[in-house]
Amino acid sequence: MLKQKIAEIKNEALVEIEKSTSMEIVNDLRIKYLGRKSEFTNILKGLKDLDGEERKEVGQLANTVKVELENVFTEKENELKKKSFDFVAEKIDVTMPAKKIVRGHLHPLSKIQYEIEDIFVSMGFEIADGREVETEFYNFDALNVPKDHPARDMQDTFWLKNEGKKEKLVMRTQTSDTQIRFMEKHQPPFRIIAPGRVFRNESTDTTHEHTFHQFEALMVGDDITVGNLKFVAEQFFSKFFKADVKVRLRPSYFPFTEPSFEFDISCTVCGGAGCGACKGAGWLEIGGAGIVNQNVFEAVGYERNKYQGFAWGFGLERLAMMKYKIDDIRLFHSGDLRFIKQF
Amino acid sequence: MKYSYNWLKELTETKKTANEIAELITMHSFEVESVEKVGSSFAGVVVGKILEIEKHPNADKLQLTKVEIAKDEILNIVCGAHNISVGDIVPVATVGAMLPNGIEIKEAEIRGHKSFGMLCAEDELGLGASHEGILLLDKEIKIGTAFGEVMNNEDEILDIKVLPDRAHDAVSHVAMAREIIALEGGEMDYDYDGLILENKKAKNLNVSIENDELCPRYIGAVLSGVEVKNSPDWMSARLEACGIKAINNIVDATNYVMLELGQPLHAFDFEKVSDMQFPISNLQTPSKSQDSNFKNQTATITVRSAKDGEDLELLDGSIKKLINGDIVIANEKEILALAGIMGGKESGISSETKTIIVEAATFKPLSIRRTRSRLALFTDASSRFEKDLDPNLAEKAMVRVMEILEHIAGAKFEGVVDIYPKKIKSWTLKLELAYIDKLLGVKVPPKTSQNILKSLGLKVTLKNDYIVTEIPTFRIDLKSQEDLIEEIGRIYGYEKIENVAPKVSITGAKQNEARVFERALKRILTGQGFSEVYNYSFYSAADANLTELGHIKHLELEMPLSPEYSQLRISLIPNLLKNIRENLKNYNEFNIFEIGRVYWPACIAMQSIADRPSEDGLPLEKNMIVGAMVLGKKSAKLEKMDKRHESGFFEAKAAVDHVLAQLGILDHYYDNFNGVPIETPSSLWHQSRSAEIKIEGSEKSIGFVGEINPFVLEGFDIHTRVVMFEFDSEKLLEISNEEREYAPIRKHPVVTRDISMIAEGGVLVDEILQVIQRAGGELILDVDLFDAIDFADDTTSFAFHIILGANERTLMGKEIDDTMNNVMNKIEEELKVKLRK
Repeated sequence: MLKQKIAEIKNEALVEIEKSTSMEIVNDLRIKYLGRKSEFTNILKGLKDLDGEERKEVGQLANTVKVELENVFTEKENELKKKSFDFVAEKIDVTMPAKKIVRGHLHPLSKIQYEIEDIFVSMGFEIADGREVETEFYNFDALNVPKDHPARDMQDTFWLKNEGKKEKLVMRTQTSDTQIRFMEKHQPPFRIIAPGRVFRNESTDTTHEHTFHQFEALMVGDDITVGNLKFVAEQFFSKFFKADVKVRLRPSYFPFTEPSFEFDISCTVCGGAGCGACKGAGWLEIGGAGIVNQNVFEAVGYERNKYQGFAWGFGLERLAMMKYKIDDIRLFHSGDLRFIKQF
Repeated sequence: MKYSYNWLKELTETKKTANEIAELITMHSFEVESVEKVGSSFAGVVVGKILEIEKHPNADKLQLTKVEIAKDEILNIVCGAHNISVGDIVPVATVGAMLPNGIEIKEAEIRGHKSFGMLCAEDELGLGASHEGILLLDKEIKIGTAFGEVMNNEDEILDIKVLPDRAHDAVSHVAMAREIIALEGGEMDYDYDGLILENKKAKNLNVSIENDELCPRYIGAVLSGVEVKNSPDWMSARLEACGIKAINNIVDATNYVMLELGQPLHAFDFEKVSDMQFPISNLQTPSKSQDSNFKNQTATITVRSAKDGEDLELLDGSIKKLINGDIVIANEKEILALAGIMGGKESGISSETKTIIVEAATFKPLSIRRTRSRLALFTDASSRFEKDLDPNLAEKAMVRVMEILEHIAGAKFEGVVDIYPKKIKSWTLKLELAYIDKLLGVKVPPKTSQNILKSLGLKVTLKNDYIVTEIPTFRIDLKSQEDLIEEIGRIYGYEKIENVAPKVSITGAKQNEARVFERALKRILTGQGFSEVYNYSFYSAADANLTELGHIKHLELEMPLSPEYSQLRISLIPNLLKNIRENLKNYNEFNIFEIGRVYWPACIAMQSIADRPSEDGLPLEKNMIVGAMVLGKKSAKLEKMDKRHESGFFEAKAAVDHVLAQLGILDHYYDNFNGVPIETPSSLWHQSRSAEIKIEGSEKSIGFVGEINPFVLEGFDIHTRVVMFEFDSEKLLEISNEEREYAPIRKHPVVTRDISMIAEGGVLVDEILQVIQRAGGELILDVDLFDAIDFADDTTSFAFHIILGANERTLMGKEIDDTMNNVMNKIEEELKVKLRK
């Protein structure tokens, strides 16, 4: 009897659920068939009055039906929920242009500078600062530049009009002044880099600028050698160009280093085989380097021949021009957003 | 300098090609900038003798010739030139020859007569421009000789960039040969040490040096009986290969020795120098044809500084005004030459010259450089004299040039005057062998080091653990152990040095706080749509005036490239305004910023910018940050509704708030532009739309924000509004570094109430906010202006959200109402404001 009753309730419920057209109706049906006061709940409540065997059978059936109905209710609810939102009406044209978010651009030289700084900092180098308006002492004398060296000429150097001071002031012609200022305050061993702005009294064209940026590296200790210089340079350039870069030293001359080198790196385009970028040479000229001249150590108060160190410097513009294939150095200081917005 | 490969080959006996030499020198000595072929081998051109000349029967202008080019080999050649006669020796291009001018010789038929070659004119052989006629050769030359052998002008020229520290010795073929020999390990067949001057006093030459600092050594030699003519071909070929024009045998010989040894020389016509040039009486007129006459004359030469206003006509015909400090060679009457740069026209060698004075001297390099750059006279001589030449080289060159002049001009040595008060002697240096390896990072065998130094011309003694070297005076650059190690290292080969990781203790790099801060700032600004520009550190005085900075003292360049870049900037704003003007040609809405140094004269820095005095009385360098915004046009409706919208001030203010918030600075406020800070004159800014930025509890401004004064913009030809903000980077860093404590998250709910009001003109939002804060006390957590509309009668409608709450409890309704009533009453009481209820 009871079994039949349960089957009837079930069938009746299924028909009604099937016919229902809204969440409210489904809710009402749920209360009607499975609610606390429903016939079905009453049957379950009456189970305890039945005999063992019958109770078991009816109980099982009732539970199965209950689970079944619950599932049908949930299904119906899901079905109705889906129908309740009209996606078609919300159709948009996804190919329409998006709203523009104004993006700022870092100057390419800043980008290059930060890349370089990060590589050196990862090798334990500190970043040192110098002045841009320097005294003749820091820019020339302490760097062992002879008093009548042509570099001190008006043609090569921006001197400042005398303010009535004893010492002449100069727009620094290289970042090496930072070496002096740092060494005056620190004792070896140390390793530093000094990126910064430098100036030359030079007419501008596509490859010459009167204002440009240099990058100085200085490492001093008891026994820093030319071999160490080559090692650190190769580490740096390999990381910077993300390739296996070889370094080649050629003789050169700078007053503040002895021996002095020009250093070339294996061409970053062809890897050294020879191509248009390196004019077939397989090597690219990158900068100057050398072993710090003992006269420089003396100028900062170190004992002669107590320390050894290497120094090197190169132009940021040159690296940026290589990396981004920029053909006119004057663009860097043009302030032209058509240029800057490309970076 | 240009070096002749043939010449170097002769000095070194190298087997290497010019390109191999170039590679070797580039890697070990100096950069070789180019290797160029000059001259020609004249393949297929031979020396022939004209046997017959006949008129061409079918052409008036042509002739038929028979030319013998070898025993029993006679060619028929049709020729158009008429300067030839039977028996002439001429260059003959045979069939198949490719001439330097590009013509290939073929068998030809010219008006019915076959021609088997061509008789050549100069231009066809690439020897000059002349097409006057066939080149007639010396009758002594053997028929059949290859013309290439006759000319001997085939060469390769190496253009080598000698480094400044070697400019005193390496700009000569002998020195470059020494490098090559050191690199190849050979021996040089050139007796440099054997060039010693014969000590025979010249009877009729007096030399005096006014100041031996200007001229450490002067050798004058008198040579008589010279015959001035063209130089032998081999000599002019070498000169011209090295880029020096051949003139006559005397001048060429001096130039030749300069290229060989590096010492410039000069030759004067003795008679034009001597005191008999302008005879006082007519009793004894010197005859130029009798060269024995010179014995009756005396030449007196003085090396002295020019006097201001003196002038001199130079060899090139130009007349130069001289000043004190220019070194000149003069006799008693006049200036003969601009020492070390160029000779005078009057005293130069002419075809009449019979007796000469040859000068080999050393001059003060700095003086030569100053004179030549002032007069823009770059000569082969000046480029050498402006470096520290070895005075001992003058003697070697003198001996060498006399040897050559004797040979090619029949010169007879009469005597010499040599003034050399402070003799330069060789010096010794001790080099520790261990130091070589320690500096280079590679083991160089002691024997190798010894050989390298020896081959470079040093006298070397190898001891147990050190080397004693005697440095020849021509290597004044070798003064320290490191100098010697460089010589060893480069000749040995830097490529032999292996890469070695340095041995260092692992230490974390100390952060450069200012740089980290600057980078963070740039990231914040770019994140907000600002693009970074770099500008020059200079602007013009006119730019300074346009930006109201003109009355402030600027540091100035002594010799700027142009007036446009003459002043050291004390503000980033002028150059940014120029950026804006230029970018407005391409964009109508953009934001830019620059972070860079400005330079304050020490005197101003000390008086006015006292918060950061400059070190050691040097100019104060401040790192500034300036952001600039050019905003696109707003809709007319928006602008009409609120004049605040047309300004852009609030966009800039929002940018500032955002930047400061990201730096952790939240307790700043804006104040009317009150003071007149020297750093940024208030007249540069729009007087009613600019503000100082300050930190709560302080009256000192940390920065500025506002519109730029429209008149300033007009001066820069900018016809739209521009807003900027400006900070001193170091000040900002200090403030952002101050400790800020965490505030616990509020546990109890907050309530928001809105009020709106009509305020009369002149009531500041900040005043309203202050009244609200004061009246509400600590229950007021925040106040937000969410609407503002200006009306035509100069009143403004404001609406605020007021957020109330307490830390330790939930507010009761009555509490809230009481507070709001109090706030509203106070606003109406204290301000010219009507609340809308």
